[in-house]
Amino acid sequence: MTTNLEMQLPRRSGGALRATLAVLALVAGSAGRAADAAPAPDTSGWTCSQCPFFEGLAAQGELGLTDAKGANASFGRYTGEDRSGATLAADAHGQARNAAGNYLSFDLQRLGLPARDATLTGGHEGRFELSVRYDGQPDRVADSAVTPFSGASGGLHLPANWVSGATTGAMGTLGSSLVPVAIGTERRTLALDAHYFAGPGWTVFGTLSHQEKLGNLATSASFLTQAVQLAQPLDTVTDTLEAGVRWAGRRASVRLSYTGSWFENSDTALRFDNPYSPIVPGSLQGQLGLAPSNTLQQLAASGQVQLPWRATTLNAAASLGTLRQDAAFVPVSTLPGSATPSPGSLDGDVRLSHYALGLGSSPLPRLSVRATARFDGRDDRTAPLAVNTIVTDTFAGGTVVAPRYGQNRMHLEGGADYALLPWVRAGVGGTFQDVHYAPGQVLDHTHEVESWGRVTITPRADLSLGLKLGNGLRKISGFNAAALPSAENSQVRAFNTAPRDRDFVTLTGAWTASETLALTLESMLANDDYRNSPLGLQSEHERSTSAALTWTPSATLSANIDAAYQSQHSLQNGYSGSASPAWLLADRERYWNLGAGGRWTYARWIVALDYRYAPSSSNSDTSQGGPNESFPQNTTRLETAELGLSYRCSPAVQWHFRVAHESYRSSDWALQGVEPASVPNLLALGIQPLHDSVNLLGVSVRYQIGAGVPK
Amino acid sequence: MGTAVLVLLAAVLAAVPGASARAQDEAVLPDTAYSQSGADTCLACHDQPALAGIFRTAHARPGDPRGPFGHGGLQCEACHGPGGAHVQAKGRRLGGIVDFGVKANAPPARQNAMCLGCHAAGAARDWAAGAHAGSDIGCVQCHQMHAVEDPVRTPLLQVMVCTGCHQAQRADLDKPSRHPLREGKMSCTSCHSPHGSTAHAQLTGNSVSETCTGCHAEFRGPFLWEHQPVMEDCSVCHDAHGSVQPALLKTRTPFLCQQCHEGAGHPSVASTPQNPNGGQGSAYVLGANCLNCHSQIHGSNHPAGRALMR
Repeated sequence: MTTNLEMQLPRRSGGALRATLAVLALVAGSAGRAADAAPAPDTSGWTCSQCPFFEGLAAQGELGLTDAKGANASFGRYTGEDRSGATLAADAHGQARNAAGNYLSFDLQRLGLPARDATLTGGHEGRFELSVRYDGQPDRVADSAVTPFSGASGGLHLPANWVSGATTGAMGTLGSSLVPVAIGTERRTLALDAHYFAGPGWTVFGTLSHQEKLGNLATSASFLTQAVQLAQPLDTVTDTLEAGVRWAGRRASVRLSYTGSWFENSDTALRFDNPYSPIVPGSLQGQLGLAPSNTLQQLAASGQVQLPWRATTLNAAASLGTLRQDAAFVPVSTLPGSATPSPGSLDGDVRLSHYALGLGSSPLPRLSVRATARFDGRDDRTAPLAVNTIVTDTFAGGTVVAPRYGQNRMHLEGGADYALLPWVRAGVGGTFQDVHYAPGQVLDHTHEVESWGRVTITPRADLSLGLKLGNGLRKISGFNAAALPSAENSQVRAFNTAPRDRDFVTLTGAWTASETLALTLESMLANDDYRNSPLGLQSEHERSTSAALTWTPSATLSANIDAAYQSQHSLQNGYSGSASPAWLLADRERYWNLGAGGRWTYARWIVALDYRYAPSSSNSDTSQGGPNESFPQNTTRLETAELGLSYRCSPAVQWHFRVAHESYRSSDWALQGVEPASVPNLLALGIQPLHDSVNLLGVSVRYQIGAGVPK
Repeated sequence: MGTAVLVLLAAVLAAVPGASARAQDEAVLPDTAYSQSGADTCLACHDQPALAGIFRTAHARPGDPRGPFGHGGLQCEACHGPGGAHVQAKGRRLGGIVDFGVKANAPPARQNAMCLGCHAAGAARDWAAGAHAGSDIGCVQCHQMHAVEDPVRTPLLQVMVCTGCHQAQRADLDKPSRHPLREGKMSCTSCHSPHGSTAHAQLTGNSVSETCTGCHAEFRGPFLWEHQPVMEDCSVCHDAHGSVQPALLKTRTPFLCQQCHEGAGHPSVASTPQNPNGGQGSAYVLGANCLNCHSQIHGSNHPAGRALMR
């Protein structure tokens, strides 16, 4: 792995670093001059005596109950509202400030749900600001899973009376051993954010966050051809520190920062009992390697300067980072006598680099130009390790050297727009991307050139139409089939590194028909052609169209309608062995989204209505020399409707009533009816396609202290 | 209203010794002339409650010298430009005043120049290099400066602001597989820098992968056994804005995997007897299909994890 890539990186990095430092020096040098040039009126008599600066306390709290009937993991995925019954509806926010310039604000949301978050911010004007934030983020994935395994991070075990079998059907005690298991996680973050305004233009800042992630993930493992799905306990912590200083002058700024991120996984491996009859004697358990603890550290510098001619701005950014991982290996197998490889850990070392220069300018009154040059490098300096493997705790797999991956990506991007007429702007632009892969990969490099032209017509201030057309062409270096794993067909091309010819068109429009009526439109079409690839993706076509209409006849009445359609159609071919003809797949996805809503304020009442309907379908048709065969159609359908009613019974008190319904249906041939014993060689969790039908009823009262805090 | 304005204007002028007498002799003020009394002059006419919301925001903190209302600040005219001629004309012409909005007299570039006068060296330091600048987007198309709480600074409302233009992403919010934007647990700015960035797609991280692993640190590696696209770009397999397939995948498995891998020894082709149409189901196709065995798809640190099966 040593090599041209490693030899080139320091040279390239050094050049870019020198360029960056030169730009930063320019920033610092020109800033003082620019600041001196700014004229200012005499404001000594500007007392602002009529200015209604805020002093005192203003706060609003809401307290109530929400009853959800039919709630489950599908409904409460990101809120945690996943059970029928009443939950507390509690929110509060407010701010306080005194004449001395001390201030405090708070924002508490969804306190009755696992998705609760709270932010408390305080400070002294112009001196410092401190903020503390808590954020709860549930992710409920499934509540239909069942498993015969029990245990936690120490290992997953089968019941004492478990009957192993060559197939799931032969596992005699499977049915009586199944217990429900919730699949999902809780992410809890506590963060402290501080800013100290050290002097004119100077700010010292820091953010420290501690994030825990707990719960169960759905994972799986196999013993040769026999697979088992598992509920993997999760217990990880990520601590992150970002600290730095920035200086901002009138025409320039510089920012220097350090970021450290420490990911800790309590469980580096998951050991589990083999539910099948062992294929080889002694293969009674399996073990998965889990995400290893790792550390990312980065130093970053960026700067910007407005040059004193042609409204020109120059940006520069540079970042250098190291990604380390040195978690201890587990033994190569659970089979008796299996050893831990030497050395006992990877000592992974990846260097990340990023350099960028940006330019924006108006060299002519009607002309604006922008350009960006960017380099991103991932240099994996980990020593390649040869491992004598045991495949799936079952049979010897020989000694294999673990490949290392890295790449250098150079990206140039630019565009120019010219106002041909006061109501017509035309632009051209393009990108050039060059990716050089580290030695030993199937490709040495790819080159991609994309060019586009666009025109924007604004015949009236209330009407604008934009059209953009472009083409992109990706070429690749020679294909190194020897770098493919031995089982891979040398004809296959990974679609992210395959030659590609892309055409795309976008159309946008906005029409403000009157003071009360506005219409917007966005449409996109993209065709990708991969037909130079012998096997793999052959073509992909994407379409999307969206439109939105808003009607605001008065300050008390508004209504909106929006609609969208998206489709994706791809063709790919594959190979099943020399005895079979190539197979073809036509895959088509379609998605619709329709919504409508309105809001009406009448006297002390506010009525709000929202409705949304979002179905999708996926079709997969295959053929292998004969007639097409179709997989069952997969579908999803989301339908929501909500009525909100608010009544202000006094300036300080407002009642809020909420009635809502959500219905979600989905079908998925990969999951539907796949129970733990449905597939002979897959002991499944039995997770079924998500569905819900939920009725919500809520009532709450809002109380306001001090002047209102309109949200 | 007009009478009130005149009375107030007269009061302001009268407050300046000799002003009314001098006004007789003064020529028309140039557009670069500032008002006599700053915000007090402006508020004499512009007394709408909706405008006063700014006095509860960070823009109007009298103790903060960095802000327009701090000591020595130009107050309203810091953003709206010199108002002397506007006042002299009793509001009948803008003079040096910059108005804001889609239908404003000032073009977006001029409006933005007022904001960038302070923010070009701070939050919007990369504005000139960004796509919004190239599309002539005005700051106030997203920001409401006079609101007590600018909606675009609230996660849930920010999504609505951004998707007002980015309509395809509006539709993505309701897809079966998505990030928690609809719940306000993330916002567009969790990943993107709308004020410009030198990174791809105006991302907050240096690259797609660095942006994603900012939250998903478990996939950062380096692993003993790596999956090449994971190390290069998460968007090879995932569509971060939403998908009709599980796990934000760009297309469903096993077909997504087969866009790069030919399954030697893996009869996962649909038209074999193992497919759901053909009687007995197959672990190659049902459940998590490829991932039933290759579960460590983001990389494995197990010594025997070569095929990402351990």
